[in-house]
Amino acid sequence: MAYTYSKIATYTVGSGGVASINFLNIPQTYTDLKIVISARSNRTGTNVDTVKITFNSSSSGYSNRGLGGTGSSAFSFTNVGSASIEDNAATTDNSATANTFGNGEIYIPNYTSSNNKSVSSEGVSETNATNAYQFMTAGLWSNSTPITSITLVPLVGTTWLQYSTAHLYGIKAEL
Amino acid sequence: MASISLKYKSKQGSLTAPGDVDPGAMIPIATTTLSTATATVTFSNIPQSYEHLQIRGISASTASQAILIRCNNDATNIYYNHELVGDGSNASANSRTPRTGAVIMPQGMSATANIFAGLVVDILDYTNTNKYKTIRSLSGNDLNGSGYVWFNSSAFPSTSAVTQIDLVNNGSTFVQYSSFALYGIKRAGA
Repeated sequence: MAYTYSKIATYTVGSGGVASINFLNIPQTYTDLKIVISARSNRTGTNVDTVKITFNSSSSGYSNRGLGGTGSSAFSFTNVGSASIEDNAATTDNSATANTFGNGEIYIPNYTSSNNKSVSSEGVSETNATNAYQFMTAGLWSNSTPITSITLVPLVGTTWLQYSTAHLYGIKAEL
Repeated sequence: MASISLKYKSKQGSLTAPGDVDPGAMIPIATTTLSTATATVTFSNIPQSYEHLQIRGISASTASQAILIRCNNDATNIYYNHELVGDGSNASANSRTPRTGAVIMPQGMSATANIFAGLVVDILDYTNTNKYKTIRSLSGNDLNGSGYVWFNSSAFPSTSAVTQIDLVNNGSTFVQYSSFALYGIKRAGA
């Protein structure tokens, strides 16, 4: 039986943390990719960090814009000519309430196509305080190469902390 | 036809996906479509064999009250809540002091003929005993001239695995034909 929504890989951060989460050798047999991420970084002071995404180890051709909330105000932002797609899928930082992790997803349609790659993401951080963040981001990688690898790093922090998880799924348009 | 290995692929460090994939990640667990007005919809005895949960639903209410999620029948004032909201003219963000449930829709839509609000709720790592449970929800209603879109975050500050979820119409009831479906999302190797 063929399935529409398939598990590809799961990554769980162990003791000591990791600088990046990498999905390599991504099968080219799906239509879209989806990542769900529950993460906490070693940044401090803000209750939030976000995910920087790069594809195929490339550090050019990225841009994005987004909508966000801080717990008290809404804002919008844009980044152009970046080395990564920034501010995806909010995570908590290490000042957030203990044991609290972010909750987000990143959707990449038509990742094998020869067109530029669009990315859609949403995510939330949480903490027992006023300032917790929500992000909704639209991103672009101006590159016609099929995506074969994805790297996720904290935007500000240097480490994903223990118990952070990321899961990669393949979505198939036709059975 | 080549066989597909069911090798467990979760590990630390960089992870490769060489083509050993397990199909079938999103599994329906339970669905409820209301035949009469109901204040609370309960999903109990949730299997612990998945990695994440997702609830999808359509709802309308007899009065415009908040819709909450409670985990494990815990109705104490412990749930953190934050929201990003648009009303068609303005965007704003708010936080709430801990409440008796995770707010997934701050204003349930008062029943208007044949119009229901939509909602999607995600709870990642719901069985993980090292984490509090962060709840992300996207919901909205449109009444052809008014309405809201909400992007809510909440936390159930407990490291206990989630075994029961109550969708609570806080001070009102869900109307007939409101419908909620619970899905389990698997991890690779499961």
